[in-house]
This record gives sequence, C-alpha cells and structure tokens, in this order.
Amino acid sequence: MKKYIVMFIAALCLASVAYAADSQIWGEMRIQNILGYGQEESWKLGPLFTMLQHKYFAWIFLGVLLGVPLVFFLHYKIVGPKVFPHSHNKHYAFNLFHRTVHQIAAVSFLVLLPTGFIIVFGDFFGGGTLVRMAKNLHGLFTIPFAIVVIPMALMWLKEALFNLEDVKWFMILGGYLSKEKQIINATQFNAGQKMWYWVAILGGITMILSGAFMFFLDFKMEMLHNITGLSQIDLLRVAAILHNVMGFAVVALFITHVYMSMFAIKGAVHSIITGYVEEEEVKILHNAWYKKLKDQGKF
Amino acid sequence: MSRMKFFCDDNRCIECFACSVACAEAHELPTGISRRKVITLFDGIEGKEVSTSIACMHCTDAPCEQVCPVDCFYIREDGIVLHDKEKCIGCGYCLYACPFGAPQFPRDGAFGAKGAMDKCTMCAGGPLETNSEKERHLYGQNRIAEGRVPMCAAVCSTNALLVGDAESVSTIYRKRVAGRGKGA
Ligand code: SF4
Ligand code: SF4
Repeated sequence: MKKYIVMFIAALCLASVAYAADSQIWGEMRIQNILGYGQEESWKLGPLFTMLQHKYFAWIFLGVLLGVPLVFFLHYKIVGPKVFPHSHNKHYAFNLFHRTVHQIAAVSFLVLLPTGFIIVFGDFFGGGTLVRMAKNLHGLFTIPFAIVVIPMALMWLKEALFNLEDVKWFMILGGYLSKEKQIINATQFNAGQKMWYWVAILGGITMILSGAFMFFLDFKMEMLHNITGLSQIDLLRVAAILHNVMGFAVVALFITHVYMSMFAIKGAVHSIITGYVEEEEVKILHNAWYKKLKDQGKF
Repeated sequence: MSRMKFFCDDNRCIECFACSVACAEAHELPTGISRRKVITLFDGIEGKEVSTSIACMHCTDAPCEQVCPVDCFYIREDGIVLHDKEKCIGCGYCLYACPFGAPQFPRDGAFGAKGAMDKCTMCAGGPLETNSEKERHLYGQNRIAEGRVPMCAAVCSTNALLVGDAESVSTIYRKRVAGRGKGA
C-alpha cells in the first residue's frame, strides 16, 4: 500500500513541477506545436482528431450505448437467463480484499461511465454547470480506480491468463447461446471474464494515463517527445483519440459484465458481494475449477 | 458578405510585443493568458529571422467549432469565431483541434482543473449583451461594436498587423508587395 501512496504523491509533485515550468504548449514549444498540425512530414493528427471527434466519436458511443444493451435484451428474451439454485453448497471464493478492491473499481466505473457519456453528449445536455460537474466527477473518480487497478490486476492475474480451453469457449460463446446448461470446462474465470479483465486493466490504465495527459495538459514528458518525435499538442491529440477509442471497448465490455452478472446468470452478482460461489453454477460454467475445488475437498 | 481576417506582415513585424501587451491590458486578462503572441522563427540567423504575431485566426470551417462537445462556438456573419464561456466545460478539445494553439485555459478550478477556455475574440466580445458589464468581464472589450479596430492592430506601430474584411486586407498587402517589389 505504501508503494501506491508514494506513487500518488510523486504524481502530484510531477504535476506541480509541470505548472511551475515553462509552458509546453504556449511557451518555448509553441512553434513545434503549430508546425505539427498538418505539415507534410507530420502525422497530421490535428485534422485526424478533428475529423474523428466531429463526425464519428459521438455516433459510435451512441451505437455502443444502444446497440450492446439491445443485443442483450434480445438474448434475454430469446435465450433467457441461466438460473441456478442458490440454496446449495457454497464455496468462499472471494475474500474481503478481493471484494473491497472490486467494489471500489465498480463504484468508480458507475460514476465514470455516465459522466463520460454526459461529456460526449454535452451539447444534448446544454453544456454549462451540469456538464462541467460531470467532467469534474469524471476526473475525481479516476482516483479510486487508479488506486485499485494495480492490486486488482495482480490478484487475478493468474486466473486471467488465456489457455486452450478458451478457444473452445469462444467457439460456442460460452454456451450462452443455448437454453441448455452445457458443461463448460472453464477455470475460475471463463474466456469472457478474462477478456473483460484485460480490457478493464489494460484499457483502464490507458484511460487513466491518457485522461491524466488531458487533465494536466502542460505536463513535461521529454522522454515521450524524444521517442515519438511528437510535439506536446500532438501527444494530447493522441491521448484524446486513444481515450475515446478505448472508451468504446471499455463501455461495451462493462455493459456485458453487468448483464452477465445480474441478468444472464441470475444472482451471480452475489458472489462478489458475499464472496460465496454456488456449487451447481461452478460445476456447469467453470467445470475445470469445480474439479479442482472438489479434489481439494472444498465442496 | 465580408469576412473578417487578421494578417501579420512579417516584413514589417519588428517583434516589439506591443500587440500582445496591449491586448492583455485592454481585456484585463489574467496572468498566464495571452490571447496574442509574437513568435520568431530562425532566431538570430541573418537573412532568415522572421517574426510574426499569432492569435486566433478566426478560421473558415473552424476546427475548434467542429470538435466542441458542448457546441459552445458560434461563428458570426462576418466570420469572427466566438464562443460561450458559460457553456464551456474546459475540456481542451478545441485546443487539440486548433492549428494555432489559440485556445488557453486559466487554472482556476480546484486541484488545478481547467477553467473556461479563453481566446482572441477579435475584440468582438461574446454572446452576452453587447458592452454589458458581464460581457466585458468574461470576454474583454467589444471594440468592434464601437466601430473600432481590434486593440492589437490599433497599436501596431509599423502597421504590420492588418485586420478587417479579407478583401481589403489582401488589397493592402498586395499594394505593399508591389511597392517593395518582393516579399509576397
Ligand atoms: S481557435 Fe484555432 S481553430 Fe478556432 S478559429 Fe481560432 S485559430 Fe481557428
Ligand atoms: S474547452 Fe470549452 S470551448 Fe473548448 S471544446 Fe471544450 S467545451 Fe468547447
């Protein structure tokens, strides 16, 4: 924990140094910034960002926001949920640490997503105080997520590594397309959960970093400039593009994650609240894990 | 319809910073914000050194206007690109889109959050009632409404900084180039 506190303080110090130093955008570097816009040898990131932001980003977000739930709505109507008796044997799979870390991440996401959407559709909400507040909350709730993302990555890393079984899982999409309860040979996490793990962790870190760039604006990153050859403003354009594109994936998979735990597998959400997983659910959806637990006499 | 444009004649600009200072003073800009800046290229290299003054260029098809998520820009009939500070959320997108680094942000929020964007208004104020106390406070002087040229051009001692309807600006410049026989 101490490590994270030190990291956090270091980040704050760096930020204040950036303020005190000469501006990267309006100071010495402004000529490079101006030249970088659409010059021959540049990456033309200015026009690219303008085009994407002007024509595509909001529509893609709208598509994800409406499309993904629509697909799941149809899934729920046609295939229906998987219901497991929750009165049976249970195994204590998630300890207090797991649950706390997960809950902090969950709460941050529940603020980050809606506020993000309010910013994307800022003109719909009329701008001003409401949208400004959403923007500030969006930044503020990045902090709890940033604090838990590394412990969360580490605590589930082993379970989230892909294996051969996952290929089979993808072929039948985890059996979620059929009403029957097929036995799926997954370990503690199935391929879908693993996919979400990687998007949440790597995508989450990308979101934090690109968001921090955009928030601090005038940060000093000699190393990044040297490696990429990009000017400050171009780094900001990259950050804005990444933040949006990564946002599509995070939003789509977050909705999936919520749907799976709350609706598709009835009551699965309780496992991360109480820590207990239910025997039949594990046996059918995570058979490899089930066998292991059984061998250890945990059921 | 005429379109208002700025043009800085780099043959005349003597890098005196008067435009920049006059602008900041006239509009009572907070420290750290300068709507107009003078830049020098090839500093100290004889024959190549050139200075020019840059602010918001009031672009046709302004990129800043295209990316703003709260749609707070509006482009006047005469082409002056203005924005609404009360709608702005300080996201910085206009800055990423702008080819000239014109949009700037005072750091007035908690934890260094960006305040509303600030940029050159061509001395034409904002969306509020013309010459009202509030317009003046948020956007600075509205000299255009009074029929005066923007402050920067008014104080330019060499008349390097031209402003006005694009047609007449280019007529003046063409005459100058013809007169000195070079430097287009
Ligand atoms: S702020 Fe930048 S993009 Fe917008 S009109 Fe001015 S110069 Fe053009
Ligand atoms: S900083 Fe303000 S003016 Fe600029 S894009 Fe964001 S909301 Fe619009």
